[in-house]
Amino acid sequence: MFSRNHRSRVTVARGSALEMEFKRGRFRLSVFSDPPEDTELQRKLDHEIRMREGACKLLAACSQREQALEATKSLLVCNSRILSYMGELQRRKEAQVLGKTGRRPSDSGPPAERSPCRGRVCISDIRIPLMWKDTEYFKNKGDLHRWAVFLLLQLGEQIQDTEMVLVDRTLTDISFQNNVLFSEAGPDFELRLELYGACVEEEGALAGAPKRLATKLSSSLGRSSGKRVRASLDSAGSSGSSPILLPTPAVGGPRYHLLAHTTLTLAAVQNGFRTHDLTLAGHEESPAWLPLYGSVCCRLAAQPFCMTQPTAGGTLRVQQAGELQNGARVHGVLKGTNLFCYRKPEDADTGEEPLFTIAINKETRVRAGELEQAAGRPFTLSISNRYGDDEVTHTLQAESREALHNWMEALWQLFFDMSQWKHCCDEVMKIESPTPRKPPQALAKQGSLYHEMAIEPLDDIAAVTDILAQREGPRLETPPPWLAMFTDQPALPNPCSPASVAPASAWTHPLPWGRPRTFSLDAVPPDHPLGASRSVAPLPSQRSSRSRGLYNKGPLRTWLQSPV
Amino acid sequence: MSYIPGQQVTAIVQRVEIHKLCRGEILILGFSIGGGIDQHHSQNPFSEDTTDKGIYVTRVSEGGPAEISGLQIGDKIMQLNCWDMTMVTHDQARKRLTKRSEEVVRLLVTAVSAEGCAAVHQSPGE
Repeated sequence: MFSRNHRSRVTVARGSALEMEFKRGRFRLSVFSDPPEDTELQRKLDHEIRMREGACKLLAACSQREQALEATKSLLVCNSRILSYMGELQRRKEAQVLGKTGRRPSDSGPPAERSPCRGRVCISDIRIPLMWKDTEYFKNKGDLHRWAVFLLLQLGEQIQDTEMVLVDRTLTDISFQNNVLFSEAGPDFELRLELYGACVEEEGALAGAPKRLATKLSSSLGRSSGKRVRASLDSAGSSGSSPILLPTPAVGGPRYHLLAHTTLTLAAVQNGFRTHDLTLAGHEESPAWLPLYGSVCCRLAAQPFCMTQPTAGGTLRVQQAGELQNGARVHGVLKGTNLFCYRKPEDADTGEEPLFTIAINKETRVRAGELEQAAGRPFTLSISNRYGDDEVTHTLQAESREALHNWMEALWQLFFDMSQWKHCCDEVMKIESPTPRKPPQALAKQGSLYHEMAIEPLDDIAAVTDILAQREGPRLETPPPWLAMFTDQPALPNPCSPASVAPASAWTHPLPWGRPRTFSLDAVPPDHPLGASRSVAPLPSQRSSRSRGLYNKGPLRTWLQSPV
Repeated sequence: MSYIPGQQVTAIVQRVEIHKLCRGEILILGFSIGGGIDQHHSQNPFSEDTTDKGIYVTRVSEGGPAEISGLQIGDKIMQLNCWDMTMVTHDQARKRLTKRSEEVVRLLVTAVSAEGCAAVHQSPGE
């Protein structure tokens, strides 16, 4: 039986017609006219397909490992979103088809069931503790082994990802700064969290995979299908439900592996931090293995719309039980667990204080009609609350039968929502709107000298002296930032903490024709801004200092300027 | 002005035409550029939006052809002789500006101060 609020996942069979259509980028609802939410979904699908093409091109053009990792991540996220949207479109199409093929008489039975209101679900401050072995710290003098990890979150058909975070053995946990917001979630939501990781260093061709099996597979089944089979074998250890991410058929790009996953539901929602268990996928032999502690700590908040948006409003005449005279005429607004009664309808919008507020919560009782049968006043309902030993009853008189019906309906819907959303309706949980994410930075582990450009020797003395003047000037004024380590003077504004000391020979004098490439080739690439060697950007104070002690993870900050 | 790949960009632009100055064998425009998609954008003091990876004018030589044509420091170059300059590397930008075969460069720039704007320009969306 098809139920409106149940979302199911659709798998697309490999090589099926649907997959071919997807590859050609032409998936359309053909026969029936699309309702507006389907065109919205179609538009999102088209957008993802375009992003996917862009990501493929970017991946092909990438030279550095970090860029390739970012591009692969975008590609994978686009893939999974495409699949999810297509599944949703297909499901809706099926529902349409089922709806249109005639109804049997017995189907016109029970009236539409009440469905709970939607809400916003936000997960933030996600932290995944790591559990390094002591040998990693004390005996391991080798190169810092780094991983790139990110989280993929799926709720319904929406898929969101976090930024990519680099992890190495100096971190005790993986922290994601984003808060991820899902806007249309029902109380039966399932938020699936998946942690994907990849080695930042180039892995060997079949590093980590059980060697015999891998070579056998890739040689016998052909390269791409062999990879897929291997990936499905990798994921066979997981709990049976297929991972959200498709294995990518990328040629030689970095591969992300599922490290862990978990599913969070309404029971996990709390207005504070909570620790949940992570199901670990993979084992120590698998590539990109990270020693996870096995739990994830986060704040999962839910705001049902019934709590934040007004659900009903209208004119009422309210009388508190015990008063004799006719009740006051107010404008009532039902929002959250309160019925606010304002003097005028405009007061609700302007933020004026209401005249009074009637609480409506799980213990409130609502009855149509009056408790005390006074002289016939039609269209009334009474709301009773119990405060301690007292019971306070308000009688509300609506303007007409329809108005009364609407009020009753709104109240029943509210009670239903409260029963479905449970503790989310006790008080409104604060949700911060997610800040726009910074775009991925082009990371460079080492500054390459070849990023700089040679300027052709200029015979123009004026231009040369210009360049010289610009370079000499600021350099004389600002001492090299590493000097601050030896003196007690506060370091001058510079974005990177002075983690390594550049040899003084790096600052050789410029050649008479103005070649800016003055670093000796075997110099340790300095962590202080290379930009100081060229014309310094005039507002250095705008750079935010992101020093994290002596361990500098910031990228090499260069912003080249060239005269033309 | 933030740039979201795949979506239209709307900017108030100014057309600037610069004739290169010939100094012996070298053609000079008389300004310096900074930026590019391969550069680290947060060092850019001219862009309001620190994610902007466009090409910016960082210095204008006094009395040079660029200053005469009205180019100002802090301008962002959107187009150059009808080539897009919003998504190029630093080197590509420099090369396009210093082509020896071209004596005139026609730039579409957007200035921080929108006074004296010439036209509203919309780049073709995806």
